[in-house]
Amino acid sequence: MTQQLIAWLDERLDLTAIRHFVEEKSVPVHRHSVWYYMGGITLFLVGVQVATGILLLLYYRPSAGEAYESVKFIVSQVEFGWLIRNLHSWSANLLIFMAFVHLFSTLFLRSYRRPRELTWVTGVLLLFIMMGFGFSGYLLPWNELAFFATKVGTGIAGAVPFVGDFLVRFLRGGDEVTGATLTRFYGLHVAILPAMTTVVLGMHLLFIQRQGMSVPPSVEAREKAGAKTPQIPFFPHYVLHDVMWWYVALAVLAALALFLPWELGTKADAFAPVPAGIRPEWYFLAMFQVLKLLPAHILGIEGEVLGVLGFGLAALVLLFLPFLDRGAAEGRSSKLVTIGGILALAYMVVFTIYGYLAA
Amino acid sequence: MRSLILRMFLATASGAWLLLCAGPAGAQPAQATGCETCHRNEASESLSAPARDFALADVHRDRGFTCVNCHGGDPNATDKAAAKAPATGFRGKPSGQAVIAVCSNCHSDAALMRKYAPRQRVDQAAEYATSVHGQQLAKGDTKVATCVSCHGAHGVRLVSDAQSPVYPLNVATTCTKCHGDAEHMKGYTLNGGPLPTDQGEKYAKSVHHAAMVERSDLSAPTCNDCHGNHGAAPPGVDAIANVCGTCHTVFATKFALSTHAAIFERGCVECHNNHDILEPTDAMVGTDEKALCSTCHSEGDNGHKAAMAMRAGIEKLKAAISHSEEQVAAVENAGIEMGDEALTVREAANHLTVARTELHAFDPAAVQAVLDEGLGLTTKVDEAAAAAQSELSFRRTGLAISLAAILLVVVALQLKIRTLKPHA
Repeated sequence: MTQQLIAWLDERLDLTAIRHFVEEKSVPVHRHSVWYYMGGITLFLVGVQVATGILLLLYYRPSAGEAYESVKFIVSQVEFGWLIRNLHSWSANLLIFMAFVHLFSTLFLRSYRRPRELTWVTGVLLLFIMMGFGFSGYLLPWNELAFFATKVGTGIAGAVPFVGDFLVRFLRGGDEVTGATLTRFYGLHVAILPAMTTVVLGMHLLFIQRQGMSVPPSVEAREKAGAKTPQIPFFPHYVLHDVMWWYVALAVLAALALFLPWELGTKADAFAPVPAGIRPEWYFLAMFQVLKLLPAHILGIEGEVLGVLGFGLAALVLLFLPFLDRGAAEGRSSKLVTIGGILALAYMVVFTIYGYLAA
Repeated sequence: MRSLILRMFLATASGAWLLLCAGPAGAQPAQATGCETCHRNEASESLSAPARDFALADVHRDRGFTCVNCHGGDPNATDKAAAKAPATGFRGKPSGQAVIAVCSNCHSDAALMRKYAPRQRVDQAAEYATSVHGQQLAKGDTKVATCVSCHGAHGVRLVSDAQSPVYPLNVATTCTKCHGDAEHMKGYTLNGGPLPTDQGEKYAKSVHHAAMVERSDLSAPTCNDCHGNHGAAPPGVDAIANVCGTCHTVFATKFALSTHAAIFERGCVECHNNHDILEPTDAMVGTDEKALCSTCHSEGDNGHKAAMAMRAGIEKLKAAISHSEEQVAAVENAGIEMGDEALTVREAANHLTVARTELHAFDPAAVQAVLDEGLGLTTKVDEAAAAAQSELSFRRTGLAISLAAILLVVVALQLKIRTLKPHA
């Protein structure tokens, strides 16, 4: 039956190229191969987000008067609504966690080196987009914690020199976080960011398929010396491994969704006093904590402005890292990149934990 | 000659009177007068302090009044004797009844007060005359409080000023300056015994003091809210329920219906005390040693039975609410939304409050009716919590099955991968 269907399609669409791709594509096997699957797990979680997000859209109502109640309705009245919402929330967090794992593994293995610079750039852009998803999605249940965290988060944009005030008003849809902000974030979350993801993710996957998997510099050096790196066929070997990892991720997600349900909290009230322990999602916490610790003025410049500029510069360095680390293409692993990566990782872990303890 | 002297005296006296009564032309702060210029430099503290205090912050000075308005005299005279000459209407430091006369000169004048504080009452002097202070003063007792004892004489502040001695937070301190001083109060009696001086200490332990001082609730009662201020007197025995009922309206209404209303000589005070009104507890009702009911009622009488029934009913609803709260919390912690049920538990807690209020009528049937409604609510919550627990079990079973299925697929995939040729 399957063969008949393929033959039917082949007759009409000429599947030679696809058949050739499936038969010929292979993936190198070495002691760092396990990191290849991190990107696959991240992609799987994007799929979970899309599926659960579409289901949530069926009941969610994006207005200040109805958002909280509609999420409450989803988790209490809709059949399996609790599961979908918990999966969406947990998957979002796991997705960003896996994206960071994928990023750091790629960084330490120097997979961004020529000719894969654009794969890295699109990957970093995807990470920023995912963080944008997280920031906008956090507000959508319109609960107290998210409301005030968004107020603080959007307020930080005001520290950007020259365009800060415009950015704050642009993000909030006014001077304050109101129902207009919610509607704006909703549009960003379900239309603009998904459209951007489709394009950038498509490019990212296309580049990977066109260029194949990168091997670490040490493996490449051995290849140059004449050693042959073992390969496994992409299909079915690698795909089956990938699917197995997806199932593991699904099991973890399901367990988290049931045993650590995502809190709904209390409905946002603009006139309520700011509750204690206001903090952003964990992936912004390290940055938030640094901004909190910065003194009011450093060398005559506002501390927060300097902090925002510093993070902006760090984002640019991350984005254009392949073009800064030119030696990687020649097999020279820069110690600066390795130390920078370790410090960045340590900073994120330490300040995130510190942020939780301080809150 | 006599006629001339008489005319001169009348002219001077009427001039001084006009000076005392007319008040300032405008409501601008008064400038320092000759009185202040000299008095500030007096070596004696008792003579210099008034000038200094009056210059710092004084509601009368802010409205253009000067020393002359209360003390008479001629502020323009350069000579002390001329400034205080009898013809200037100089009256010195008023005391006793003279204080009341000086203050009421303006404060009982509706036409004058309308210019400065149109909403302020003008019957303080009349009220004062009915107070224990006023009556004692009329008898010649000059130890009692007059206007200046509470409001101050120089540096008088508005009652709404937090630094005023009669600002709600400061009233108890002001009253106890005299009423907490055993030496000062010596000789005064109440119901045949010496007048107690421990009211301040007792009040400091009360719920009213806690509300006023710890929670900064200025609507909480202090001395003058029960005793009156200008007409200060102990509430009569038959008026205690009315005094308490001014704020505790529902309790007073229920109590008025009760059999105790005709029996309790001191009304509310019989159970709650007067100055040291402590946090009421359910333990006050019942038949055990701590319960107040057992002070009068003994086993077998109707009051004893009623107290036992009401206490048992209250404890039952408390236990039911506590149980429901635990059930809701357990299910909510497991991720099931129970917002409506949490509200219902709060509604049951409201019924407990209503039952405690109803208790003041001492009618067990009426109390039980309210308690039964509360118990009905907790039963509904418990049913919903039980249903949620079933849902939770269903979810956990579903997860176990799903995880088993996923594990099976992972194992199957691993087995399949092993059958594949290792490398291309």
